[in-house]
Amino acid sequence: MQSKTSFFNKALFKKNLGRTWVVGLLYFIVMLVEIPISYVIDISNFESTYYVESGYTKSMLLKQHFSYISTTEVAFVLGIVLAVITFLYLFTKRDTYMMHAFPVSRKSLYFTGLLSCLLVAIVPILLIGAITSIVATIEGAGAYAVIWYWVLIGVVSTVLFLSIAFFSLMVSGQVVTAVVFYIIFNYLYTLMQVAFRLSASIWMFGMSSVPYFRKNAIFSPIFYIADNCRIKCYELTDDYGNLQEFTTRMVGGKYLIIYGVVAVVFFIVAYIMYKFKKIETVHDFICAPFMQPVFSVGMSFFISMVAGAYISGMYDAMGQRTYSSKFAVGIISAIIIGAILYMITKMMIEKTIRVFNVKNISKCLLYSIASLAFLLCLRFDVFKVENRVPSTDDIAWVGIQCDYTMVFTSEDEINTVRSLHKNFLADKKELRDISVNNPDVGSNVVTIKYKLKNGNVVVRSYNVIDTEDPTVTPTYVAAAEPILDFLNNPTIIKEHIIGNIWNACTIPYMQFIGYRYDEGIKDFNAEEMPFDDLNDKEKEAKYEKVYEALLKDIDQGNVLQTSFGYRDDSANLYDDFNFTVSNKKIEYFSDEMTFEDYDYDYYYSYPQYEQNIYVMLNKDCTNTLQTLKDEGFYYDDEVIITFDEYNEKVGYYDYETYL
Amino acid sequence: MIEVNNVTKKFGSFAALDGLNMHVEKGAIYGLVGPNGAGKSTIIRHLCGVYKQDAGNITIDGQQVYENELLKQRIAVIPDDIFYFIQANTKDMMKFYKNMYPKFDEQLFYKIADCFPEINMKKMVRTLSKGMQKQVAFMLAIASRPDVMILDEPVDGLDPVMRRQVWSLIMSDVAETGVTVLVSSHNLRELEDVCDHVGIMNHGKILIERSLDDLQTSITKIQIAFEGDMPQMPEGLQILKKITNGRVHTLIVKGQPKEAEQALAAMNPLLMDVLPLTLEEIFIYELGGDNYAVKDIIF
Repeated sequence: MQSKTSFFNKALFKKNLGRTWVVGLLYFIVMLVEIPISYVIDISNFESTYYVESGYTKSMLLKQHFSYISTTEVAFVLGIVLAVITFLYLFTKRDTYMMHAFPVSRKSLYFTGLLSCLLVAIVPILLIGAITSIVATIEGAGAYAVIWYWVLIGVVSTVLFLSIAFFSLMVSGQVVTAVVFYIIFNYLYTLMQVAFRLSASIWMFGMSSVPYFRKNAIFSPIFYIADNCRIKCYELTDDYGNLQEFTTRMVGGKYLIIYGVVAVVFFIVAYIMYKFKKIETVHDFICAPFMQPVFSVGMSFFISMVAGAYISGMYDAMGQRTYSSKFAVGIISAIIIGAILYMITKMMIEKTIRVFNVKNISKCLLYSIASLAFLLCLRFDVFKVENRVPSTDDIAWVGIQCDYTMVFTSEDEINTVRSLHKNFLADKKELRDISVNNPDVGSNVVTIKYKLKNGNVVVRSYNVIDTEDPTVTPTYVAAAEPILDFLNNPTIIKEHIIGNIWNACTIPYMQFIGYRYDEGIKDFNAEEMPFDDLNDKEKEAKYEKVYEALLKDIDQGNVLQTSFGYRDDSANLYDDFNFTVSNKKIEYFSDEMTFEDYDYDYYYSYPQYEQNIYVMLNKDCTNTLQTLKDEGFYYDDEVIITFDEYNEKVGYYDYETYL
Repeated sequence: MIEVNNVTKKFGSFAALDGLNMHVEKGAIYGLVGPNGAGKSTIIRHLCGVYKQDAGNITIDGQQVYENELLKQRIAVIPDDIFYFIQANTKDMMKFYKNMYPKFDEQLFYKIADCFPEINMKKMVRTLSKGMQKQVAFMLAIASRPDVMILDEPVDGLDPVMRRQVWSLIMSDVAETGVTVLVSSHNLRELEDVCDHVGIMNHGKILIERSLDDLQTSITKIQIAFEGDMPQMPEGLQILKKITNGRVHTLIVKGQPKEAEQALAAMNPLLMDVLPLTLEEIFIYELGGDNYAVKDIIF
């Protein structure tokens, strides 16, 4: 008859605490210094700091303090350290035999270990919450909701990482391997994403820039919690730094619930694995039988994909290669490396180098065939990745980046870009190697990025060449020219390069710098007219005249034109020209920042109402240049020089100017 | 008390236990002997509840051992390689055992400790010598007042005086409390002195399991000399081994010694001596037929 067993063993609990309390103490000290002590130091001379003058209160400072402090990194380390110390007996034969010979069941061992870990991990966070609350009360700062929301984030992230650590420890019979697994599991989604994106970027048409647009997903809690579960402070200040508005938001509550549930699931899975763990698997690379093929196939596949892509990339770097040749090199490398890795993982699992038997070789062959099939599916776009153009309903905005960055949000514009994209992809067989097949024609890269309403991003980049070159085929021109026509439309340029306030703005600032060659120093001197004798209104009137001339040049197609070929340095001016557009009532929509996915909430705590615009003028900008001269930005045409003229004088080669 | 029926345990494709049967009576001191790799430690780990058998049944006092906390409170184990918590001294370990084993007798612990005066109770156990660590293990195990004591190579690493002392402690505990002892050892001479039952194991099976008296009387060594060549041995006499040295023949005969003696005496030998076999000799002869590698070296 099987006797009843308990979940908790007091003797074991005491022993566990006796070995782990130091970790909890260290955790407590680190947070104590980082939070209440640091805050107390910050406000020690509060009345005499600039904070008071700027309108900040102690409560605001405390909230701001919590908005900076992330718990994930510390929780990540704490989780595995606590779990390893508690379950260290699982990794040596002597210890594990004796521990399981004691009158204590696995259920008791596991849950007592879990309880002691939770106690050591959570108590310091709760204490910090309590101490900070006391400090806040004494200082009259309040902000209790913020303090305890931060505590909640800390508790959930600690429990989550602890659960992943428990799971990792049950997978392997070697402590070092278990720790490595812990790291792998935490970064697994990101690593898989990198492997796929890197491979796709080398092998698939239009995917070259995909790796740069990686976004942290909920499957990567180590990044996701830090980014999305936090206290956010929004500060609006005037030009003199005086606080106009201060608001706080506690975001990510729903994710904390999800992660809490995930942690419970991990603890349950880890317990089941422990319950059925064969103690004789101590020192085994992988204890859980179901994890062995997952490990062999997973490691071999992802590493070989990255390695294949890397070799393929190196092959491409030695001279421009066609997609087919890159893929051939990549696929052969990936299959060979994958097969080698598969056998290495078998050696690790079976703890012997004698793994070359019929069974393992057959499995390796099967794996290689499956891997080859997958890579061929990529090559022939079976998953419809290359041809993917999201539907209009799913798109929040679409951006095009070439010489300039433009973002389109209206349904009409989105549909136009989708049509242009589809039209371009229709001839992808001819277009995919266009720059390789036309090495002497000027080239550029055009990137199309769809931001979907669900937060995902679809991004494609294509090598394009000069459509005006006589050697290019009509098919290519038919595919590429419509995109150029769209981008070079004057209305589009004004709306998206100058910005949404282009026709309702003032110009509070403008700068033109000409360059005059000085034979004495053998270099150019910058010349700029300061207009010190003019008041702001007079300056603005001057700037607006130049701005009007610039708009005229845009309408005539003289400036801010996108080209798929090389930059024309015989026409483009080396002189600097920039100005600020401003409208205090209409928020400035930055195409560039939107395209790069900057989080306004996070990086910019208040909306922008003005933007500085840099324009590369060229010799065709007759209206602008004439107005600049008429308005006194320069007097002598000698200061107007092209890049070619500059290079010639200074003695640079073309590529050096680029550098 | 201990019942092991048809237990099988495989490590990969290797069968460490292959349909093993073992029966230990209550209050017995059962010696488990066998060559290296026979499966002694494996069956001991099953009896401690560390391993779970692939097939078969293991019970102590009618209860399954695996994951049975209450039953294991009645079992004390001294493995060949003993575990102590890092940083723990003897007193710490005593406190741990006291919390683990409800019948732990602290007074008895200190009484036994008096027998091992060289052990510093405040020193970390892991820093003690291997022999001293064994002594601490005995102190803890006996003070746990178990019904079953499972000892794997228990006196390995102890000096002869300490070995004697430890065995004497165990014997007196058996006499006093009736504890059942299962002990595995390579030191057969020592087991011979303390065990009342013996199980000989090889290749994951118990080959012979009997009381030591039965075992010692079921195999006999007879030295015999005849005038001239050795005559044909009578039918029914089971000779395990025959060694001839000049005219003197040494026979290892299986079966009742009296019957063998009578049968051989009827052949009018010049000389006949019936000698008892040591456990070590029985072990070697029994395993001799089982391709035991050392047989030729010993002879």
